[in-house]
Amino acid sequence: MTHAEMNELYELYVLGSLEPAEAAEIDEHVRTGCDYCLQRLQDALAVTSAMCGLAEPQTPPRRLRGRILAAVKPQKRSQAWIFALAGLSAACAALIVFSVWSATNMDRYRAHAAELEAQRNQLRSAVEILSRSETRTVQFGHANNQPRGRVFVNPQQGLVFVGSQLPQLASDQTFQLWLIPASGAPESAGLFRPNAAGNFVDVRTTPVDTTRIQAVAVSVEPPGGSPAPTTKPILVVPLG
Amino acid sequence: MIPKDAGDTELIEELRARDADALAIVYDRYGHLAYSVFVRVTRDQSIAEDLVQELFIRVWNRAKDFDPHKGKLSVWILSIARNIAIDHVRSAQARFQSNLRPLEQTDQLLFSYKPQEPESIIDNAKAVSRALSELNTNQRKVLEMAYFEGFSQSEIATRLQEPLGTVKSWMRAALARMRAAVKLGVTG
Repeated sequence: MTHAEMNELYELYVLGSLEPAEAAEIDEHVRTGCDYCLQRLQDALAVTSAMCGLAEPQTPPRRLRGRILAAVKPQKRSQAWIFALAGLSAACAALIVFSVWSATNMDRYRAHAAELEAQRNQLRSAVEILSRSETRTVQFGHANNQPRGRVFVNPQQGLVFVGSQLPQLASDQTFQLWLIPASGAPESAGLFRPNAAGNFVDVRTTPVDTTRIQAVAVSVEPPGGSPAPTTKPILVVPLG
Repeated sequence: MIPKDAGDTELIEELRARDADALAIVYDRYGHLAYSVFVRVTRDQSIAEDLVQELFIRVWNRAKDFDPHKGKLSVWILSIARNIAIDHVRSAQARFQSNLRPLEQTDQLLFSYKPQEPESIIDNAKAVSRALSELNTNQRKVLEMAYFEGFSQSEIATRLQEPLGTVKSWMRAALARMRAAVKLGVTG
């Protein structure tokens, strides 16, 4: 096929309207790098593009322009991004709440652990006091519905005060244990509160001068205790 | 702000810079032509809208590959539009053999396109319109069947129940008018 013959075919070639044999022949020729054919094909593209005028003019809906531009314009903050941000904020808030909750619980656990540690140490001290041969035992309270229990006193190790049937305290009250010397002011031996059944265990781990201390006493005091008894003792147990 | 009468080079530069205003100008120039072609081919305005969007998204994404010094933006866009339309018809009906040049090949031609004259088909719209109006019924019919439906000349002859030679004659005359209208001329 000569160029003169192909001149009538380039547009049909571009449109895909040639018979397969004719199209194959032009394909083969173009692949040889023929500049003339390439230029004619480029011209043919312009001619076939002009054929768009064959279509009856139509006016696209106005919304189409906005739809296309919206599709290519970067969204400053898309709905998905807002949802993602909201989700992230919620996650952060949840994390903060969880952290506070964890910290609070951690503090609670630490306080509970410290309390258990103190109770364990108190129990060890109590066992130490009770196991010593020099520890003396004083029993008190024999009447029904009255406080009753025992005081275990070791001059070097301290004392263990165990009892039951103590009266219930108001929320702003506590029991305070006193060591009553033969002369002078009572000495505080610590604060304690019985459990719901009225049972209690109090341990003092400092030496008790049994030559000087004649009795232990319990009084009701305000929270935090008092330097000296502010109420009449509900219980006095002589150690002699 | 890019001017509304910006040339191909400026438009392409702005499209490469992802300036949506440039795409708006391109749409304003060619959107109605593409839409008209898509409505004519698909006979469905809703599908035509989707195809117009597909066209301009493709222009947006492929502008970086187009060299305005080698080709006309109008030819590039309208050639893509025609390929999209025919591809849609083929995929929807699967009734054609694949004689249409693949879009990628057309793009290669367009990217190396060097117009002999500065006028584009849009610049010379009146001449093109006049040429189309001067086509007789048979010439227009064969051109439409080739352009909008992708039929080969033998398929056109079969459908029109006319001798192949007659169809080729009509087609030849129609294309000659079109060539003259776009002022490209064939000197071979």
